[in-house]
Amino acid sequence: MTAWVLGLVLASYAPQQAGSTLLDPAREARVQALGKQLRCPMCQGLSIADSNSSAARAQMDKVRELVASGRTDEEIRGYFTSRYGEWALLEPPATGMNLLVWLLPLLLLLGGAVAIARTIRRPASAPPAPPAKPAEPETDKDRPPPDDPWLEAVRAELRR
Amino acid sequence: MTSPLGTALVLGGLLAAAFGAVVGIEGGLRHRAGALRIVLGAVTAFLLCMVGANLVMVYALVTHDFSVHYVSMVGSRATPLVYTVVSLWSALEGSILFWGAILAVYVFGFSRAHRHDPPTNPLLALGTMLAVGVFFSFLIAGPANPFGRVSPVPPDGPGPNPLLQNHILMVVHPPMLYLGYVGMVVPFGIAVAALIRGQLGDAWMATLRRWTLIPWTFLSVGIVLGAWWAYAVLGWGGYWAWDPVENASFLPWLTATAFLHSGMVQERRHTLKLWTVSLSLASFLLTILGTFMTRSGVFNSVHSFTQSEIGPTFLVFLGAVLVVSILLIAVRGPLLVPEGTLGGVASRETSILLNNLLFAALTFTVLLGTVFPLVREAFSGVRISVGAPYFNRMAVPLGIAILFLMGVGPSLPWGRASPETVRRQFLVPAAVGVAVVAVCLAAGLRGGLTLLTFGLAGFAATVTLREMLLPVRVRMREQREPLPQALFRSAARARRRFGGYVVHLGVVMVFVAIAASQSYVVHTTATLKPGERFQLGPYTVQLAGLRNGIEPHRRWTAAEIQVTDGRGRQQALAPRMNFYERSTDPVGSPAIRSAAFEDLYLTLLAFDQATPSASFNAWIFPMVGWIWWSLPLFVFGALFAAWPERRRVRSGATERLPVPNEAPSPGAAA
Amino acid sequence: MTRRGLWIGLSLAAVTAVLLFVLAKGFGRDPHEVPFQLRGKPAPDFTLKRLDTGAPVKLSELKGKPLVLNFWASWCGPCKAEHPVVAMAARRFGQEFQFYGVVFEDTEENARAFAGLPDPAFPQLMDERSRMAVDYGVTGVPETYFIDAQGIIREKVAAPLDPRTMMEKLAALKQPAGPVSEVVR
Repeated sequence: MTAWVLGLVLASYAPQQAGSTLLDPAREARVQALGKQLRCPMCQGLSIADSNSSAARAQMDKVRELVASGRTDEEIRGYFTSRYGEWALLEPPATGMNLLVWLLPLLLLLGGAVAIARTIRRPASAPPAPPAKPAEPETDKDRPPPDDPWLEAVRAELRR
Repeated sequence: MTSPLGTALVLGGLLAAAFGAVVGIEGGLRHRAGALRIVLGAVTAFLLCMVGANLVMVYALVTHDFSVHYVSMVGSRATPLVYTVVSLWSALEGSILFWGAILAVYVFGFSRAHRHDPPTNPLLALGTMLAVGVFFSFLIAGPANPFGRVSPVPPDGPGPNPLLQNHILMVVHPPMLYLGYVGMVVPFGIAVAALIRGQLGDAWMATLRRWTLIPWTFLSVGIVLGAWWAYAVLGWGGYWAWDPVENASFLPWLTATAFLHSGMVQERRHTLKLWTVSLSLASFLLTILGTFMTRSGVFNSVHSFTQSEIGPTFLVFLGAVLVVSILLIAVRGPLLVPEGTLGGVASRETSILLNNLLFAALTFTVLLGTVFPLVREAFSGVRISVGAPYFNRMAVPLGIAILFLMGVGPSLPWGRASPETVRRQFLVPAAVGVAVVAVCLAAGLRGGLTLLTFGLAGFAATVTLREMLLPVRVRMREQREPLPQALFRSAARARRRFGGYVVHLGVVMVFVAIAASQSYVVHTTATLKPGERFQLGPYTVQLAGLRNGIEPHRRWTAAEIQVTDGRGRQQALAPRMNFYERSTDPVGSPAIRSAAFEDLYLTLLAFDQATPSASFNAWIFPMVGWIWWSLPLFVFGALFAAWPERRRVRSGATERLPVPNEAPSPGAAA
Repeated sequence: MTRRGLWIGLSLAAVTAVLLFVLAKGFGRDPHEVPFQLRGKPAPDFTLKRLDTGAPVKLSELKGKPLVLNFWASWCGPCKAEHPVVAMAARRFGQEFQFYGVVFEDTEENARAFAGLPDPAFPQLMDERSRMAVDYGVTGVPETYFIDAQGIIREKVAAPLDPRTMMEKLAALKQPAGPVSEVVR
């Protein structure tokens, strides 16, 4: 009896609609891919494909409905942005100010690569040889078929 | 009684830190040797006060003293003892209090380890760390005071956040992360001292490196445990959501990792000093930024604490630290002149430079992506999202490039390498990489980036193992040492090198696990009545029935599942939903069947007691466990590398150890 | 060297300034707020079944009188507290406005047993698989939409309604739609 009452009480808490009916594998794959790009409105930055929340489930069902009715991916994304704004897209579209978020990292990489290339190409302009330059030959030109300097160092250590 | 005592202790800590900071920085600037003893005393007082305040709070929590503000917020008589103690750091004020204690422990540890050093550097470093301590104890005493008094005293409290009392990992993960976060204060102090003096000698650099390695290790453990916790508790099947707070913990890890690598260049070639020091400053700044993100209420995250008053205070502090750091770099930085040159294109140092570039780019990308929604909103008033798809698209290529460099760097000698050396060094590892890809293709695995990752992992692992074992072979062949002795000796002779390579192996493991678990996941959802079953991969999943239960702090409903794997072995699983008294949404607990190479992951989506029936999400994640199983490698490798080497002569004020006029010591090579 | 140092210092300072500015502007922002784009747009049409009679209800047949749509679910705690507020409004202002409840992600049996019984003051509609709710841009429950006589969505409240907010929104709903009506939040 108690268990039954408890069951009723508990049942009244859980999101109740049964699990969704999936589409055929090909179209379901599209649904999942789209779902991964759309943001769940009541979660912490999860996609609706990942979230277990009721709102995410409702939206996934909507994606299924739209896919089943033959809409394109672009139309489906548009359906969500016309309701939740650009916010609904987990990946900011590369337009306008959003270009910054896409291009700045690339600029940094390019700039850094140029800086590194210039540093390496210009050893002559650096200060004179370090005061305590290791005696270890720095190039392996002047050595007979060399082992790597690390092993040489190991051997030197062993000889000590 | 507890409230005034706690407040008094925090105020005592504030005074001790302020006094020590002033004496330390002033004494350091004027080279007063005698000041060090005073600062050591202040550090001890700071430690006693902060730890004491934490103990007072734990006592209040355990005795359910609801007259203390913080206890009335997170305490509850129904919460089990473990989680009652854990609730010390489960909400904003307590976590800052805990933060203060860890800070004090770190500063104390540093002060003990360097009390016999020439005093100028330790004075400046300790003064800086204590200045940070001033801010945190001010925060605890003022805007985030957990010891406020509540009247009338409530009979009971709401208990900690349900998500935080769902899994034992929550007991371990936050302290690890805090130890990592707070520990970055120490390298910050060391780096500030170096900048103030305008010199960074070998001994001080070694100090900086060791004290970065310690928080780096904790941070690594904290991040991996956090991923594990998210996977085991949050029930969406993932372990990393690029959530602002996850990013916040990742950012200082990235800069600290870059530091550990660029530090080698600084040691070997005596260049990149300013860059290396800047990375230390950046690591600390990013921990402060991360703390701000978690606690300001500005970001939306699983981990966000409730909105609070401390945000503006924190922002002011962040701004102050930023300004001080930039001033130091701009004004004092030019004094850290390079004393050496870099080698050629194909050299260890170039690969480390590239590694640093990639890490810097990754740090910048993650930071930019995390704050960009705020930028967009501040400048154009539009709310946008920057989520997992963006981060994956940007981070995956960078990560793969880093994996590639992990194989390239250790293969190349310092200085310059002839094409002949390059060819010889790369032939076997590259062949292994290609073979791995071929085997994967033959086994039916597909996916360009995934196979590239596997191939590069094979390449990097081969290089790493070769570099670890070559000296062993030399010893065995040329000294006729038996294998265990050769292994032990060559490892012990080059601790940092050996430890670093062990960590590299752990990183390779994580790369492989992430690639496999992301690419080859199998997923389905199903609704079952008792006795019904569904098939997922080799597993048959059958619903036995629903079960309800009551615990002191929650009620739950579990679906009893019988799983049969491909070989007929059976296992019972029970994914469930938990109902906490004061939380409206149910909190799901997934059930996971872990095996060596894959996990079966079940979550309860919905249930109906009347029918009865239950709906599930079910996934197979290949190799996902390898992400957390890499932890021993990280910990062992880092400990091995951080363990103090043979006692060095502590050198004087110039602090440049004369480099022995022989071959470089292998110990310094890694 | 110094020129380079100056450049680096300046660019770092610029980045810092932007970062601090942006973070400072972030205060007071509710990180959980989800944008709503259908404000001022025609309400999407729907045909839903009444929970009590099973009769279909079409939006197009409801035009001509302002409409209040209240989304709820039996598993949602705050909805229980809000329900009487909507029912009270339906009793008092049923002449001027139409009130409908929409059941979100729930089963019929649970909805019928909701808090004893859904208040008969306003009819409840069953939203199969929450299709209509997503059409309306619902982000969770409870949520209440205020739609004017012309079928334009004037307002949405994404939180439990208290009587005062309800009165304010109803009063605003009676005003003719102007270009400034969207400012009311």
